[in-house]
Amino acid sequence: MSAHNRGTELDLSWISKIQVNHPAVLRRAEQIQARRTVKKEWQAAWLLKAVTFIDLTTLSGDDTSSNIQRLCYKAKYPIREDLLKALNMHDKGITTAAVCVYPARVCDAVKALKAAGCNIPVASVATGFPAGQTHLKTRLEEIRLAVEDGATEIDVVINRSLVLTGQWEGSDFIKTSTGKETVNATFPVAIVMLRAIRDFFWKTGNKIGFKPAGGIRSAKDSLAWLSLVKEELGDEWLKPELFRIGASTLLSDIERQIYHHVTGRYAAYHDLPMS
Amino acid sequence: MRTGVIGLILPPTFSFLEMMWRICPALAVGCTVVALVPPASPTPLLLAQLSGELGPFPGILNVISGSASLVPVLASQPGIQKVAFCGALEEGRALRRSLAGECAELGLALGTESLLLLTDTADIDSAVEGVVDAAWSDRGPGGLRLLIQESVWDEAMRRLQERMGRLRSGRGLDGAVDMGARGAAACDLVQRFVREAQSQGAQVLQAGDVPSERPFYPPTLVSNLPPASPCAQVEVPWPVVVASPFRTAKEALLVANGTPRGGSASVWSERLGQALELGYGLQVGTVWINAHGLRDPSVPTGGCKESGCSWHGGPDGLYEYLRPSGTPARLSCLSKNLNYDTFGLAVPSTLPAGPEIGPSPAPPYGLFIGGRFQAPGARSSKPIRDSSGNLHGYVAEGGAKDIRGAVEAAHQAFPGWAGQSPGARAALLWALAAALERRKSTLASRLERQGVELKAAEAEVELSARRLRAWGARVQAQGHTLQVAGLRGPVLRLREPLGVLAVVCPDEWPLLAFVSLLAPALAYGNTVVTVPSAACPLLALEVCQDMATLFPAGLANVVTGDRDHLTRCLALHQDVQAMWYFGSAQGSQFVEWASAGNLKPVWASRGCPRAWDQEAEGAGPELGLRAARTKALWLPMGD
Repeated sequence: MSAHNRGTELDLSWISKIQVNHPAVLRRAEQIQARRTVKKEWQAAWLLKAVTFIDLTTLSGDDTSSNIQRLCYKAKYPIREDLLKALNMHDKGITTAAVCVYPARVCDAVKALKAAGCNIPVASVATGFPAGQTHLKTRLEEIRLAVEDGATEIDVVINRSLVLTGQWEGSDFIKTSTGKETVNATFPVAIVMLRAIRDFFWKTGNKIGFKPAGGIRSAKDSLAWLSLVKEELGDEWLKPELFRIGASTLLSDIERQIYHHVTGRYAAYHDLPMS
Repeated sequence: MRTGVIGLILPPTFSFLEMMWRICPALAVGCTVVALVPPASPTPLLLAQLSGELGPFPGILNVISGSASLVPVLASQPGIQKVAFCGALEEGRALRRSLAGECAELGLALGTESLLLLTDTADIDSAVEGVVDAAWSDRGPGGLRLLIQESVWDEAMRRLQERMGRLRSGRGLDGAVDMGARGAAACDLVQRFVREAQSQGAQVLQAGDVPSERPFYPPTLVSNLPPASPCAQVEVPWPVVVASPFRTAKEALLVANGTPRGGSASVWSERLGQALELGYGLQVGTVWINAHGLRDPSVPTGGCKESGCSWHGGPDGLYEYLRPSGTPARLSCLSKNLNYDTFGLAVPSTLPAGPEIGPSPAPPYGLFIGGRFQAPGARSSKPIRDSSGNLHGYVAEGGAKDIRGAVEAAHQAFPGWAGQSPGARAALLWALAAALERRKSTLASRLERQGVELKAAEAEVELSARRLRAWGARVQAQGHTLQVAGLRGPVLRLREPLGVLAVVCPDEWPLLAFVSLLAPALAYGNTVVTVPSAACPLLALEVCQDMATLFPAGLANVVTGDRDHLTRCLALHQDVQAMWYFGSAQGSQFVEWASAGNLKPVWASRGCPRAWDQEAEGAGPELGLRAARTKALWLPMGD
């Protein structure tokens, strides 16, 4: 993780001066998907890079230690070994950026990663995920317990009632949403968030990270996200310390694309290991 | 009804889509097209192939690939009814001069520059994207003049520079580039411009990932260019953006309207009132609010001032290829020995042959300028004779100085008049109609002295009053909204006044023609400088007596005198926005030739008489179309 956001004095005039023209942002969002297409070996390289940004996530009601174990193993070996060997990338230590689970499963995740010999961080959602409508006391206790269990990153759900009444908090990363809403990570929203991150950096020198989550399922989409961050913020932000993609099925689609690039064929469901 | 054969001249920078947008409406209304395209570009060859595929109708679309030297040849072919020229300013001007008096009409669409006005209440990041759309991409036709409000200058420049750094240039078919190249000629042009700007002391910034081979040129941002430098006067080439600051919205309008070009512009502001104020105030053909470069075939696209006054798209695009039914195909009246330098230069003297006999007439009328009668600069008058040869009265002989004064007075009256609501204008026209009716007996008796029967004279006066009322009522219907596919939000087609309109009335119908031309011009918000009928200007001057009390000063100005001389002065005047000429064939030719000076739209009768008493010719929709210009105002919505 990058250095913590030291924070600044809350200056609401920054916010009131901001103007966002929605139709213009929509137009930019359409363009970004069409104008930076990468092909062939460059596409494969970008896809592998995208893998290193994934927070491999499982947030279901029926999570148990067995599927957590499977997930952690997949985080350590996201792409099938022989495919990586064909691309000569098997020894570059390609893993996902983190594993993201519910607080109750943090223990299992830490244990599974240790068994796999992997040192990627475990991220936990906390603070009354996904609605955030619990007492402050229990929310703080959740975070404390998750950290005790071994989580090194916390996805905090902000108290929306505070937001709507104008009482703000600070953070190191901003995330598009919990991923459990009907509409999650869309390009227009992301463009506005990325511009805000850039403005904050120009004003204070602090670099804040960005995490789109929810609804990112195809490899093509992930490439569009990467090029969006590259265009708006630059290469400095294309690092796991400053950029994450919260996804679960994305990894298998990326793996399919890599399979196709290496072999020239389309894989069946059973060809690639489950996550 | 349709015009006939259209000769279309296209520049090398046009995309296939833009060519189609000009050809398809012509074909749709039934015209046939001969397109002259520059050699050595693949797009026109695709066009030629397409025209070859029109099997059942061979010959409706013809494509000739040839250099610019063929333009005058094509334009002067006897079968061509209209020449539509799209391209650079100087070539358009030269074409206007060479086609004066020819059989073919001329439509010009010149220049590629656009304008972007960035206020302090704009979404600056989105406006920067607008700049990229306008100048640093393959979608924009030319360069951009960027006006930034001073208070957000630093922020805007910083974001522009960041954004420039991320642009990529390369071959068009590479999927990840923002812009390509436009050929060696365009590259030379922009290199000259940038060198010139640098030598004038401007700051030039270039960035982006661009190959260093010749036809590729990096995106360029020029700032601190002194407004008086020659670079600031010429059109900005692609891919240059020239940025200048402004302090207030009022200053922005002055700076923006302070060029001879009037193509397209965008206004970026999140305050609706301010955005509309600026949008209405810009003298351009297309205004986008918080967007740039949106186009659609159902929206008229064109320009004003030196961007030419021809349109494509929308209803105006169709009118380009139509003429009123019943009008004959154009007659050639080229007078090869018309000397443009001496036409109308000297005023023939009007010394009387012998002493006048008869009762002494009333004192001579002055010129009606600035709301009152005043003596002409030359201090001379000429006699007007009635149909039996007797002296009817004396009128002043106006000259160049008087024309200058009249145009100035008209300009002073213009902002107030154009700002009036249509209802207020209608009220004034109705008041004039009532005044005419009160004056019926005087006017009818004057017409009788000119040889018109009493009954017919009275009918003429009544018809004039009716026409004034009709135009007053007609102008209540202002612009309407167009429906554009794929856009949320309205696009308004506004009809705006041209400015100062010069009208030279025909000899016949001294009252009716005068009123029939005055009414639509005034109704649409223009101010007018009129040269009344040479045979009998007294009727117009009678009407002026009423206008002196009813109208604001300078709204309508009437200058009598030698028609050719006054025509010359008006046609060469750079600050007259349009001219209607109903005199001789030679005069028509001169007017068309002289209009190349500021490319004012002209409507000349070519010496053909017009039936002013018939509805179709005297009060038809053609008059309404020619009395105003269109502006397309795009208002994308969304929050």
